[in-house]
Amino acid sequence: MSYQNQQIADVATLLKNRFGELENKADILKAVELRALYGQLPTLPQEQRSEFGQAINALKAELERLVAEHEEAAEALPPIDITAPFDVNVPADKRPALLPSENGTVHPLSRELETVLDIFYRMGFTAVESRELDDDWHMFSSLNFPEGHPARDDYDTFMTKETDKNGNRLIAPAHTSTMQNRVLQKYKGNLENGKPIAVLLPGRVFRNEDLDARHEHTFHQFEGVYVDKGIHAGNLLATFKTFLSEYYQQDIEIKSQPFYFPFTEPSFELALSCPFCHKKGCNICSHTGWIELLGMGMIHPNVLKMAGIDSNEFTGFAWGCGLERLVMMKYGIEDIRHFHSANLNFLRQFA
Amino acid sequence: MKVSLNWIRQFIDFDLPSTDELVERISSQLGAIEEIVETGKKYEGALIVKVVECVSHENSDHLNVCKVDDGGKAQNVERDENGLVQIVCGAPNVHAGMLAVWLPPGATVPSTADRDPFVLEARPLRGVVSNGMMASPKELAIGEGHEGLLEVDKDVAPGTPFAEAYRMDDCIIDIENKMFTHRPDCFGALGVAREIAGILGQQFTSPDWYKTTPDFPGVEVEELRLEVQNELPELVPRFIAITLRDVAVKPSPVWLQATLARVGQKPINNIVDLTNFYMLVTGQPLHAYDYDKVATGKLGVRNARNGEKLALLNGKTIELNDADIVITDGEKAIGLGGVMGGSETEVSSETKNIILECATFDMYTIRRTSMRHGLFTDAVTRFTKGQSPLQNLAVLAKIVDDMRKLAGGKVAGHVVDVNHVSAETLERGSAYAPVQVTTEFINARLGLQLSADEMAQLLKNVEFDVSQNGDELTVKAPFWRTDIEIPEDVVEEVGRLYGYDHLPLELPQRDITPAPKDELIEAKAEIRKRLAKAGANEVLTYSFVHGNLLDKVGQDKAQAYRLDNALSPDLQYFRPSLLPGLLDKVHANLKAGYGEFALFELGKIHDKDFKLDEEGLPAEDEVTTLVIATDDRHAPEGAPFYAAREYLEALFGQQLEYEPFEAERQAYQAANVWQLGRAARINLHDDFVGTIGEFRPSIIKALKLPKFCAGFEIETQAYINALAYRQYMPLPRFPKVTQDITLKVDAGKTYGEVLAALDRAIGENAIGQTQTRLEPLDIFQPAEDASHKNFTFRLRIASYERTLTDAEVAKLLDQAAAELQQKLGAERV
Repeated sequence: MSYQNQQIADVATLLKNRFGELENKADILKAVELRALYGQLPTLPQEQRSEFGQAINALKAELERLVAEHEEAAEALPPIDITAPFDVNVPADKRPALLPSENGTVHPLSRELETVLDIFYRMGFTAVESRELDDDWHMFSSLNFPEGHPARDDYDTFMTKETDKNGNRLIAPAHTSTMQNRVLQKYKGNLENGKPIAVLLPGRVFRNEDLDARHEHTFHQFEGVYVDKGIHAGNLLATFKTFLSEYYQQDIEIKSQPFYFPFTEPSFELALSCPFCHKKGCNICSHTGWIELLGMGMIHPNVLKMAGIDSNEFTGFAWGCGLERLVMMKYGIEDIRHFHSANLNFLRQFA
Repeated sequence: MKVSLNWIRQFIDFDLPSTDELVERISSQLGAIEEIVETGKKYEGALIVKVVECVSHENSDHLNVCKVDDGGKAQNVERDENGLVQIVCGAPNVHAGMLAVWLPPGATVPSTADRDPFVLEARPLRGVVSNGMMASPKELAIGEGHEGLLEVDKDVAPGTPFAEAYRMDDCIIDIENKMFTHRPDCFGALGVAREIAGILGQQFTSPDWYKTTPDFPGVEVEELRLEVQNELPELVPRFIAITLRDVAVKPSPVWLQATLARVGQKPINNIVDLTNFYMLVTGQPLHAYDYDKVATGKLGVRNARNGEKLALLNGKTIELNDADIVITDGEKAIGLGGVMGGSETEVSSETKNIILECATFDMYTIRRTSMRHGLFTDAVTRFTKGQSPLQNLAVLAKIVDDMRKLAGGKVAGHVVDVNHVSAETLERGSAYAPVQVTTEFINARLGLQLSADEMAQLLKNVEFDVSQNGDELTVKAPFWRTDIEIPEDVVEEVGRLYGYDHLPLELPQRDITPAPKDELIEAKAEIRKRLAKAGANEVLTYSFVHGNLLDKVGQDKAQAYRLDNALSPDLQYFRPSLLPGLLDKVHANLKAGYGEFALFELGKIHDKDFKLDEEGLPAEDEVTTLVIATDDRHAPEGAPFYAAREYLEALFGQQLEYEPFEAERQAYQAANVWQLGRAARINLHDDFVGTIGEFRPSIIKALKLPKFCAGFEIETQAYINALAYRQYMPLPRFPKVTQDITLKVDAGKTYGEVLAALDRAIGENAIGQTQTRLEPLDIFQPAEDASHKNFTFRLRIASYERTLTDAEVAKLLDQAAAELQQKLGAERV
């Protein structure tokens, strides 16, 4: 570290020399010379103050670093033989061992996702995890959000200071739909071979929201994409009904409501008959017998076209379903924040 | 969007089904319903009465004792010999001959009905019995007026229920706004009425005034000059205005107040109420200015200037942004276009002359202005859906007509129509060119078999212009629809009007080709199972970390992608390693009473050091990270490093190589957490796997970690790669021989060196084809000799060819020991 200001450079040299000799290294931070420099600050002309002040702060930071490094070195333990399987002089019965299996747990969200993946795998869907850092094109343009669409503003979506090759800020995706274009492109060869595109896209998604018991800025979705010749909206509803019936191990009824998404047409919101009370009415379904679960629709022709798929020849559907909701309903989890709390009181209940 | 069924009924010529059935149909074919309110309940018992007699109360200077005629309708109430009911009333406007609203004993004051209901009774007021009360607009929950009684302005027979007279016997259905994101027309009662007709399979016909090009009355009085200059033709495609002279600003007639009140709109005065009323009918926001306060006689449309100030109708003054659209008087801003009017030109009780504006604003600009200033008005709700610029003339003509009738205004100028809508669109009278589509296209996407006639009828019911040519339909959307552009839009329209609940629930057909599994997803599931079986707990921590946490663990913030707009101050950087997040969770679990645990997470990390991937995006690295922590009471002996290693080997077995960890940063930010001398780089057949170690003392201190704490972060891909090295060795048929060997070496020699040398020596001197296993038994350093270490190994060896003898194996170990003596100076003890 070199200091432009001669006076500060001199003090720096002086203090660094003294540091070597000090018994208590932290005392260097209390050096009168350092304090004198700070004292001098108010006496300087206004225009010099900022630069001088920054230089003193840099010197102070350097000294703090020296002290910290010294402390770290002083507290460091002696080296060990890292190639060895256990430490020297430790008898076999005192060596570290794995914890008992019954303490071990898989996170309830992971476990549930594995169940979901398994069902869709059996239904013929392959899976690809979604990205956590993505670009404007995949988040918006590829999904038929027009230029200037308010969703592109940063009110709901986390964006980074860093930009992509087009100068747009990078994005923490707000939905797993950012993967649609990728998998449509990746698997469009299937269509030429007379096979469908059938992919499940699980992943972590983000909304720029304040936290409370029902709102998280970080959560998980599984997106489904299915494209083939002659796919219609009835196929979509049937596919999800089949999934739900398998997931809940009972015959589930569904209700669709019209909805609007830029990337599907037509779009639906789907409700399922309450699997917990069989439509009799309970707390989970707010005594309505129905639970609104997710959004879905027929993939918009522009989305297919952008992936190079002829939307006159092929049609398809997509959905995006939240994972947390399923798990919270299943176990009666009262606070969504538990999922990312890493709290063993919570986690070890899922042994 | 609150929808009044009574209002809907005014636009249709058929009977609505029961509320239950209607609600069912609306939610399955129009949109989700948030709430249903029967407004009539509030007004149970409220009757319109005629005040027959009104005399001063003898014990009061402001109360009157009234006798009212209720047509004999109320039950269980005391009446005089003429059948009249006595009510004590303090309202200044009470007078004999008026029609008022009476709340008899037993009725609830409507304004209190929603919370803390106040039920009336017959009780004396200063010695004179009052049977209930007569009510003000505020008490009737239809306005703010509390100075006097609501004066019934309609010729109805005494005893008529109030709810019936003013159609308060209504049902309000609140449909979620988000269902109408692309349906500006559904933000008006007219549009919803049309849609309800459509989903019930009924023909809807819009009122003539809405559908035909209107005639404005000629100038009726001395002209009020008005000039409009629009500098933003792209953002304000249509701006029309007209001036009216000599309006009488006063409270609206009761029917209008009541109508607005039912859908939650506060009545203000007849001018403002009418603009709100027609907005609620057509979805087209309107604005009235006090002409005399727009001193220049000009309206301008331009972008605001940065820092320009504007006082709004809500009493707040905002600082404008140059992306906002403002309405000016030719110079200064007097309104925030499409969002809220300015207070300076507000219509007040003194207003005589007005300008009525009916304009169309760009939806995205309005949304940004609204978000920027936190202004969420009814106009914003509508303009942000993209109102059609083709309805302005009809709406303005209709409101002018009503203003003349209700406020006595006279038209004082010609309509100024600043029109930037393309000639083609105007000519066509529809936002987009007609859509050509075949029945086959529609049926294929819905899984239905509707005929061309059936489809055409569904569309015509909601006033589409459809021409048929065999199976081909040419569909022209009416002018208020802005969402019908491509054939798929017609599919949606047909499907919804027909009813999605009629779609065939058929699974897609596919052949039995197995779906490929994803290697990464499968590997992660396996890692989870293995680590959980080893007693570890999987956690999820956020993908974003605070800069302070990175500082504490010595990871370089400059290398991490930084969030630009997080609401929460905790979310600053994309995590460059999972270690900080895990370490941050250790202390709380110790404090919660867990003495020993292992936390692990599988997740993605981002680091500016990572190269861009083939899409040009920052590469995402999938890692598996684990931290073990044990409090002093439970800590085993020796360094915690070896506990972390146990977990690593639970994943990889014993095939990994450990290399001393160098001071410079390697591959990962993760590496910055390790204490030199107690950390290792992990390799598998020369490929980098990850790093493992104990944490630097400053981290232990900063995060309150226990002394016995260590961890690793590895590439999840390395786990997949390792699977390739798993191989089977055939089992020897001959018995194995077990012998131990202890070697004393220089303390500077590592276990790894000794093991490798011993393994090699045994291999080189092996007796034919054998299977050997070397197990570490003990590592010992005598207290009195710090310069040496003893390693004890157990050799298990079996031949594939014959039975080995103890002597042969002893000889083998002797040969190996001799070689190690030579190479490492090892001494066999």
